[in-house]
Amino acid sequence: MVTLNDTVAPTETVRSGRRPALRRDGRYASVFLAPSLAGLALFTLFPTAMALAISLFDWPVFGERKFLGFGNYTHLFGDPVFRRVVFNTALFVVLYVPLNVVLSLGLATWLGPKIKGRQAFRVLFFIPVMTPMVANVMVWRLLFQPGGLLDAGLNSWFGIDAPNFLGSSSWAMPAIVAMSIWQGFGYNFLVFSAALDQVPQSQLESAQIDGAGPLQRFRYVTWPMITPSIFFATTMTLITSFQVFAQPFILTQGGPGVATQTIVMYVYNQGWQFLTMGLASAAGWVLFVIIMGITAIQFLGQKRWVNYDV
Amino acid sequence: MRGTPARARRWLTAAGAVLALTAVAACGGGNDGSGGSGSGSADKADLTWQFWVGGTEDQAAWQKVADQAHTDHSGITVKLQGTDWNNYWSKIGTLLASGKAPCIIGMQSLRLASYANAMLPLDDLIKKYNLKPEDFDKPIMDGLKVDGKQIAIPYDSGPMVIFYNKDLFKAAGVPDPKPGWTIDEFKAAAKKLTSAGRTGLVTTPSDLGTASWVRTISGAEPLADGKLNLTDAKFADGFTTWANFVRTDKIAPQVPSGNSDFETTQFVSGKSAMQLNGPWSLIDTLGKVKFNLGIAPIPAGADGSKTYTAGSGFGISRSCKTPDAAFQAIMSMTSDKPLTTLAAAGRAYPARTAAHPAWFTAAKIPEAKEVIEYASENSVPLVTSKNWVQVNDLLTRFGTQALNGEIPPDQALKTIQDQAGAGS
Repeated sequence: MVTLNDTVAPTETVRSGRRPALRRDGRYASVFLAPSLAGLALFTLFPTAMALAISLFDWPVFGERKFLGFGNYTHLFGDPVFRRVVFNTALFVVLYVPLNVVLSLGLATWLGPKIKGRQAFRVLFFIPVMTPMVANVMVWRLLFQPGGLLDAGLNSWFGIDAPNFLGSSSWAMPAIVAMSIWQGFGYNFLVFSAALDQVPQSQLESAQIDGAGPLQRFRYVTWPMITPSIFFATTMTLITSFQVFAQPFILTQGGPGVATQTIVMYVYNQGWQFLTMGLASAAGWVLFVIIMGITAIQFLGQKRWVNYDV
Repeated sequence: MRGTPARARRWLTAAGAVLALTAVAACGGGNDGSGGSGSGSADKADLTWQFWVGGTEDQAAWQKVADQAHTDHSGITVKLQGTDWNNYWSKIGTLLASGKAPCIIGMQSLRLASYANAMLPLDDLIKKYNLKPEDFDKPIMDGLKVDGKQIAIPYDSGPMVIFYNKDLFKAAGVPDPKPGWTIDEFKAAAKKLTSAGRTGLVTTPSDLGTASWVRTISGAEPLADGKLNLTDAKFADGFTTWANFVRTDKIAPQVPSGNSDFETTQFVSGKSAMQLNGPWSLIDTLGKVKFNLGIAPIPAGADGSKTYTAGSGFGISRSCKTPDAAFQAIMSMTSDKPLTTLAAAGRAYPARTAAHPAWFTAAKIPEAKEVIEYASENSVPLVTSKNWVQVNDLLTRFGTQALNGEIPPDQALKTIQDQAGAGS
């Protein structure tokens, strides 16, 4: 058996005395990395590659599989329902991500060190994040449904009927976004709170002495210092919001029509309800490429505005 | 560049380690003990039964049904593997497709067409073990057939009937509906009952409910010659009349999307006076309502009262190695004793006629026997397409839009038909 050391020329060892140690480290590193690499290979890389392969077939759970090439993809892009599903997902992202970030950053800024009971507020805002999504959604369903709390409240106070939030194509998506923001902003709120606490008071005070007002202090002192957290929060929120599933799944089942159906719901339905794995895999890959592309753009763009020099 | 081979080897080592672990993990995954295909002979076998259960209490009740097989055949044991309803169908689909399905499989009549290819036709076994099909309700025995072959033996059944709030009927001065009442009488009653924030009816789009309304109104069926036929003019007529209950007649409330409980919640809370439901829900509903509950057949259209029957039963997977033992177990599980016990506990309207009296006693509604027998006579099984899960999903989505007046009913039907195709 040839060992790694046998193959290395003596001259090279002389040129760099640390190499054998590095090589040993490399071997140890491989051994230590192996379990997680195995996990990655087995549970992420293999299914991803398998999904790509399946997406090229007509792959029913029962019956014969047929090679289609890019047939599933052309079907998807030609299908008005799938195009609407992609639009819905984008609409959710466009509404949810900015509102979530603005609300959580606004509240985190407002709940500065001078506010009494800020710890209690922090816990309060974080409770929806910790509560199981299903329970959250069930409560919101009771609020939104015809004859529900909102409807009954508006009716008894103002004598008007509330819109059919979950049954109307124009109201269903805003209802889901509202519920999702309530449920999800607590996480970013904590991230921003922690980042804001790291901003040195001395710098804020010196800016104040120099005559900077609250907005200027936020824009020129606080903002640059918390940009890494904002970058982290927006990237993660963007990725998770592209994968939105539970809220529309439980609140509206993607309806009425396909007004609130998202890409992950579409994948779930095609794969696990209708048992057409090829179409589900193709839709999954479309989502994967969208998320990869947007995340890559975000990473490229961060050089312009994220400041790591603090 | 002598470093390159060394680096390559390091990568190879790492890759080798990954592959080795992957192989170990993969091998480990294969030995999952799901080998539910059973082993043994006709009289001696340990069988596994996949079924949908709602919780531990449900699991215990159904395990008692399974134990009947052991009581009747000392060599046979049946172990219940329970999964909740929503996950059941994807689980059973993967198990059947992989050839690792357990011997005994719970099957619902509406979903049978999708799974029938992976299940064993039971006709030969029925003859061999002398099971008498005439002991069961005919509509559900037929409902569990595909292409004329019996795929499962039913344990419950039931035609869709109207549940109504007797107290609200009395308060509005509307007489109790009787078998033979017509759509016009129904609409007049519902209009009278719609006032003060209440509605006469609550209806939501769903395969069994919607198809039953359409069938009684216009006589049209969703499938013609095994193909989806939703854009047929007669079907569209019935569908539009039904959708108009909400759209224009306003005798039923607007519906939220994706809330399958809405109909029942609305009815149970007394906000709507009628709903269309199956007898399998009757005793559960009785336990929930605070008013006098009555039942009536679906109102009659031009050709009389017509409704659909659905139900569930047990079948055998093709991969089962001991179909004889499995069939004997199913015969025990659908025999008088367990079905009577289930009926008395109010779990299901039994598919065996001999067990009906126990259910009528438990239901405590005087007219139940007359109404259900009348509805049963006027019902046929709802025959479904292979992609019925998708059809039902589309119906729920676009039916909601049609009911709420967002799109015309015929456009909803066209969209469903376009998306679902011929139904294969």
